[in-house]
Amino acid sequence: MKKNHYQTMRKTILASMILVPIIPFLLVLAIGYYYFTTSLESSTITRMKRIVEDHGQMIESFLAERKADLDFIIHSYRYEDLIQPGKLAEIFEHLQKNANAFVDLGIFNQDGVHVAYHGPFKLTGKVYKEVDWFQKVLKQGYYTSDIFLGYRQIPHFIIAVAKEVDGKKWVIRATIDSFMFNNLVKRVRIGKTGEAYILNADGILQTERRSGGNLMTKPPDNIKYPEENSGIESFINTDAKGEKYLFTTAWLKDKKWLLVVRQEKADVFQTLRAAAYLIILIMIIGGTGIIGVAFFLCERIVRRMEEMDSEKESLGDQLIRASRLAELGEMAAGFAHEINNPLQIMKNEQSLIEMNLAELKENGQLKPSESLAEMEDSLDQIELQISRCADITQGILKFGRQTEYVLQDIDLRNLVPEVIALVEKKAAVHGIRLKQTLSEDTPLIHGDPSQLQQVLLNLFNNAIDAVVERHGSHGGEMEIESGPVDNLKVKILVKDNGCGISLQNSNKIFTPFFTTKPVGKGTGLGLSVCYGIIDNLGGTINVSSEKGHGTTFTIILPAAG
Amino acid sequence: MKLMLVDDEERFLSSIAKLLSKKGIDAVTATSGAEAIEKLKRQTIHVVILDVKMPGMDGNETLVEIKKLFPMVEVIMLTGHATVEFAVDGLKSGATDYLMKPIGIDDLIQKAEEAFEKRQRLEEKIRMAQARK
Repeated sequence: MKKNHYQTMRKTILASMILVPIIPFLLVLAIGYYYFTTSLESSTITRMKRIVEDHGQMIESFLAERKADLDFIIHSYRYEDLIQPGKLAEIFEHLQKNANAFVDLGIFNQDGVHVAYHGPFKLTGKVYKEVDWFQKVLKQGYYTSDIFLGYRQIPHFIIAVAKEVDGKKWVIRATIDSFMFNNLVKRVRIGKTGEAYILNADGILQTERRSGGNLMTKPPDNIKYPEENSGIESFINTDAKGEKYLFTTAWLKDKKWLLVVRQEKADVFQTLRAAAYLIILIMIIGGTGIIGVAFFLCERIVRRMEEMDSEKESLGDQLIRASRLAELGEMAAGFAHEINNPLQIMKNEQSLIEMNLAELKENGQLKPSESLAEMEDSLDQIELQISRCADITQGILKFGRQTEYVLQDIDLRNLVPEVIALVEKKAAVHGIRLKQTLSEDTPLIHGDPSQLQQVLLNLFNNAIDAVVERHGSHGGEMEIESGPVDNLKVKILVKDNGCGISLQNSNKIFTPFFTTKPVGKGTGLGLSVCYGIIDNLGGTINVSSEKGHGTTFTIILPAAG
Repeated sequence: MKLMLVDDEERFLSSIAKLLSKKGIDAVTATSGAEAIEKLKRQTIHVVILDVKMPGMDGNETLVEIKKLFPMVEVIMLTGHATVEFAVDGLKSGATDYLMKPIGIDDLIQKAEEAFEKRQRLEEKIRMAQARK
């Protein structure tokens, strides 16, 4: 039941010591993680969007500049001038100085005939009347194409501007250096996997994709196209390989092209993952720490409590025993006093009888006879028994109330050998080996030497009796030890390997009149007197014994000074 | 030497008186402190053996009273309770000595004689002092 109590206490302490710190700890981690994640995600997405916006604007302005170039030409020169041989080459040179963006330059009349051309291909004279872009530029006055193969069978795209002079339309067209344009778009590089590319309305690649995907092919991942009027969109999508990507898209070129920037999700949120790992690590280490410390402290607290409880219990036992013995002492002293009065009368009467008997014998009124001798023997016996009673009452009074004593500093290293000397002979007769271990640093104690002598003598005699009872006259051992206990106390141990004391008896041995010796051999007062003396000196005396193995008496006394 | 025994136990008084007379000592007995003081007033007594524990006026009170009225009387306290306090109290109040029950008749006589001698020495001194005057 006691054990159970400690178990329950241990569980309660452990639970509270783990839960109380671990709940806020986990909450802090979780909240921290949540806010960190959201802020990082939103900042990452914002950053992506900004990149897309900047990049989109750059591409748009590139296209606008190219258109402006053509606008400038068409408005600065007359058709007749431009178709002069060499003129176009001159202008082309001029343009390329500005931005190395064009591959060729050509002039078309209203019927779509390529009238003048400067560039690496032989396109002069080709007719474009039915071609899609030509139709559109005549209609809209300006056109930028998607990537197409055209006559030259090379992927490229063009910018064309038309002008009407005197009811006749003519067109100037430039081919954009697709290598340069490609690089312009591809230039975006975010993390390990971040890349940018352009799709047309049909989902066909207008620029190369760094991670694979050639011009004019359709990448396998299905991008959902944003709403016509929406701005920059960001979303997570899974590509054909099952890899998750963060896509960010923006419309270009009047919503005909879609600029796509994508990055593997794992790559985007790499710091996030690092943070997550760190948090898990902290959680494991912190959690283990909390649990470990909780276990350690809990164990210590419970053990300390157990110790304190058992100390309290033994203190309680000692108090009960002390108060019981004090009561007994009072009672015994009163009892002894009361016994002494009748004892006195008995003694008087016995003396009277003796005297009268002596007188009668002297007067010759009594003849020596066997019965007279018997009577005299009886009288002697009565006297003897009265003095025995007197001894007992003296003993009781000594236990109950201390007679006068002289307090002085006592060195146990001198006192113990003196007492040992008193029992040495007796021990030798019974073949008992005596051993003294008196520590050099045994402190002095303050007490009455004769009383202490009495205590030790009593313990030694008891030990000898116990040893003789078990071993006869061979193999007995008795040991006395002394030494300091935490500087303020002195410990004296008297050990023997005698017959021991049973548990139920060891609780009673300090009680007056308790004896296991045969009638007439002991008064049962020796140890109770010892107890009284040691108690009077502010010390304690305790016994630990195992029946059949031996007994150890432990005396603790306060050190002098 | 004239002795007086004071104790509440009559049988003790009678037996001890008989023993003393057998030893040739004249002894008066009293069963209480009051009776003892009465008897002291009427006759000359040298040594009083006084039990400490008595009903009515106890030993110590009787001792104080005796010493007040008859300072020359030697008092030996007799107790069943040989405690330091009793002894010290008694001696402080002017007792000559104290005895522990049960006491043998010979010890009792020895102590009484010592007290008597002390008294005689004191009387001698008083006489000498008076003679010098």
